Amino acid sequence: MTLESTATGKPFVHHHAAHCESGVTSAFFRDKGVDISEPMVFGIGSGIFFGYLPFIKPAGMTITTFRSQPGAIFRKVAKRLSGDFVVKTYRNPQKGMDELRQVLKTGQIVGLKTNLYWLTYFSERFRFNFSGHNLIVLREIENGFRISDPTLEHPVDCPAADLQRARFARGPMEAHGYMYYLTSVNPNPDLRQACIKGMKDSCNLMLRIPLPIFGIRGIRFLARKIISITEKFDLNEACRLLADIIRWLEDTGTGGAGFRYMYAAFLQEAADLFGSAELASLSEEMTAIGHDWREFSLVATRIIKQRNKSEETFAKAGGLMLNCANREEIFFKRLQKVVRKLKT
Amino acid sequence: MKINEVPQDDVPDYSEGIKKGNYALDDKGKYVMVPSKGWVVDEMINRMAYDEYKVKEEEARKAVLAGQKSPLAYYMELRQMTPEILGKTAGIAAFRVKRHLRPEIFARLKPSVLGAYANALAITTEELITVPKNPRER
Repeated sequence: MTLESTATGKPFVHHHAAHCESGVTSAFFRDKGVDISEPMVFGIGSGIFFGYLPFIKPAGMTITTFRSQPGAIFRKVAKRLSGDFVVKTYRNPQKGMDELRQVLKTGQIVGLKTNLYWLTYFSERFRFNFSGHNLIVLREIENGFRISDPTLEHPVDCPAADLQRARFARGPMEAHGYMYYLTSVNPNPDLRQACIKGMKDSCNLMLRIPLPIFGIRGIRFLARKIISITEKFDLNEACRLLADIIRWLEDTGTGGAGFRYMYAAFLQEAADLFGSAELASLSEEMTAIGHDWREFSLVATRIIKQRNKSEETFAKAGGLMLNCANREEIFFKRLQKVVRKLKT
Repeated sequence: MKINEVPQDDVPDYSEGIKKGNYALDDKGKYVMVPSKGWVVDEMINRMAYDEYKVKEEEARKAVLAGQKSPLAYYMELRQMTPEILGKTAGIAAFRVKRHLRPEIFARLKPSVLGAYANALAITTEELITVPKNPRER
């Protein structure tokens, strides 16, 4: 926690968060006087998801996502907690930067979608061509902006030129200067209603999308692909593809095990909110699923490290992932039933 | 995952002091966010991808010094771009970018085109026409 201030001198408390977008959204609500935690935001915004998108390749790496698309969490949470918000994109970078400065002058904090490569305050190891990182701009300073990046422990400074490049970077998943902020919130939001909506939405996203690459189907699809991966690719390429998955699962700020621990934290909070023992047991189940994902990461890393010389095989890694798919299917079907019984 | 199971590995050249948030259970079985110093698994996976960029960059640099490619190829790899992305950023069609990767064609480029590339790559025009003699330290 660090104390900062906006352009008009209004205090702003920076909190360290596990994930960028849920951290940003949680900070927006805190700034407006509604204290809501990061896991709560993640659950209400239906952040948990799975998608395997081999055709989008930022920096040559296939996308395996464990959360819903960038921008969705903020919009869903703001709607479900009946807050008014502004979302804007720009064609002209200069106009985008000018409007950002104007909004900042009113004392408003602003969320941006940026490209990680151009954010020079990260170390070089973290920077790669991926346009989906969210951060908060607090105020303009000399030659740059004061930034509260929720994945960092403290606020940082970013030069204006870098921020402009980061906002308007071209390539896969272009941000087009995507800018968003909350204008007003309901001081006493209906959390129970919002939680129910969020959980129902998550169940639909995981179970009912009729495409083979999303939700539970997506996990099975990818698992089967891993099992037979050596038939199609040579060992190096296969290891590379496996490493890409682990990178999305663990390396890119997921709070551990591809957001599964964060969702378990949400269910725990929801269980307290509703006084529901069933939700509490579902939270434990989700923690166990998180352990399974972590087990998958460990086995996969061993394969990559020893180049298939150990007893760990691609079939075993794929099998672990299939196990995750089965458990998650049972989990979300159970959640669907439990949610129906909850009362607002 | 319990708090004491959150990975706290020393991987200084990777994390550089940046702590990642992890959700873990405390003694009472309640979820809290625990900052993690780093994890060897993360570090290894990240290094694989990072080394790949490094290798591409170094190969491009050597090709430029050997006269097989234009300096544009090196700076394109340096910024983790492809001809398509570079073309979009500089406002030049991708097929032209691919042509400009050939040294003999790059040598005849107009200053305005060079300026567009330099701007897209966040370097100066002087930098764009040469590559470093030695591998970049990082």
